[in-house]
Amino acid sequence: MDPEREEKRVDERIRAAYRQPSAADEPARERLIARLASERTPRASGLRGWFAVREYHARPVWVFATLVAVLAVGSWLGARFAGRHAPIAMVPVAGPSDASTLPVTFVLRAPGATRVAVVGDFNNWDASATPMAHSGSGDLWVLNVRLPRGVHLYWFVLDGSEWRPDPSAPLAADGSFGGHNSVVVVNGGSGL
Amino acid sequence: MNRALPLVAVLVLMLAPAARAGDEASDEARLGARLAPDVARQVAVLVQEARAAGLPTDPLVARAFEGASRGADAAGIVGGVRRQAGAQAAARGALGNGSQPDEIVAGASALLAGVPADSLARLRLARPGGSLVIPLVVLCDLVARGVPADAASVAVVTAARAGATDNVLLRIRERIHTGIENGGAPAGTTGEVVRQWLRVTAGHGRHGEGAGGESKRKTP
Repeated sequence: MDPEREEKRVDERIRAAYRQPSAADEPARERLIARLASERTPRASGLRGWFAVREYHARPVWVFATLVAVLAVGSWLGARFAGRHAPIAMVPVAGPSDASTLPVTFVLRAPGATRVAVVGDFNNWDASATPMAHSGSGDLWVLNVRLPRGVHLYWFVLDGSEWRPDPSAPLAADGSFGGHNSVVVVNGGSGL
Repeated sequence: MNRALPLVAVLVLMLAPAARAGDEASDEARLGARLAPDVARQVAVLVQEARAAGLPTDPLVARAFEGASRGADAAGIVGGVRRQAGAQAAARGALGNGSQPDEIVAGASALLAGVPADSLARLRLARPGGSLVIPLVVLCDLVARGVPADAASVAVVTAARAGATDNVLLRIRERIHTGIENGGAPAGTTGEVVRQWLRVTAGHGRHGEGAGGESKRKTP
């Protein structure tokens, strides 16, 4: 027999066999499809997952739109926080009770003083920003404020001109501008 | 979810420079509002260098404002900020790169007070997992009260190594103050208070919570 014809005949038999319904019936086929669908594609986990090759499908228009959105948000944030008119943060005398600030009480006995203020890191060293209140008829001056957690340096300023450290507080020893700053550590635990 | 991670990473990378630029511009605006233009410019450069080095910048701005508020001249303000920046860098070097910003600030204050850098490193070894803010503040305070830096360092490091908590250190500090106010020599009083606490601790098998009496707290 012609080898070429024989080859075509065999080829046709194979095709016919493929076209025939499989021995497994329709329910079996559905079970197979369901099992395949339930199997999860194996994925690299943990750090290796970040380096594993993956296939992504994205429409170019969505990629472009995402980039535009990212740039827009970045520009807005830059303009929002880089503005020349960024306000100087002031200490809220009675701020909200959030976890980032904690109440602190300053007390000073200052006989003869007519005005006392606290000035320090927490109010941008503005001697007029945080005045203390005279307590009744005594010599005590008191201030309750909420301060951010952290280490803050401060002084008392009496009558706008006399700088006095807190006699009950620890001192910072640098004294870059003369004298020793007082220190308050706001941490919610063993604060000073 | 995992598909979103690369997008989030890209977002962070794209927004970080904007936020950083915002910080820099915000600092410049704050400095410009309080200082003479030339002083503000010089301080801003120091602040930018500190930020690039990963050091806290708020204390630098605060030093500039402190100088302005206390009437320092331009050279005094810039010099104060420069000293603070240098001390912060040295403090981080002594305390370790993983140090918290507050530790760096307190460590810088200690170095400016004359405390040797190796005392900071020893303090870190004495409290490897704990915050060093209070020990460093107590150390600075003792030096400011006249205790020689070496004696103060030995006292605080010894107490920390023996397991003194922050509250105990604060009480030790108060006892030292009382002793000094009553006429005791600063170094001698410091050594005696710490030795007494160590004896109490050894005797009670705990860390002598009652060794220093009551301390006034200003914060909860």
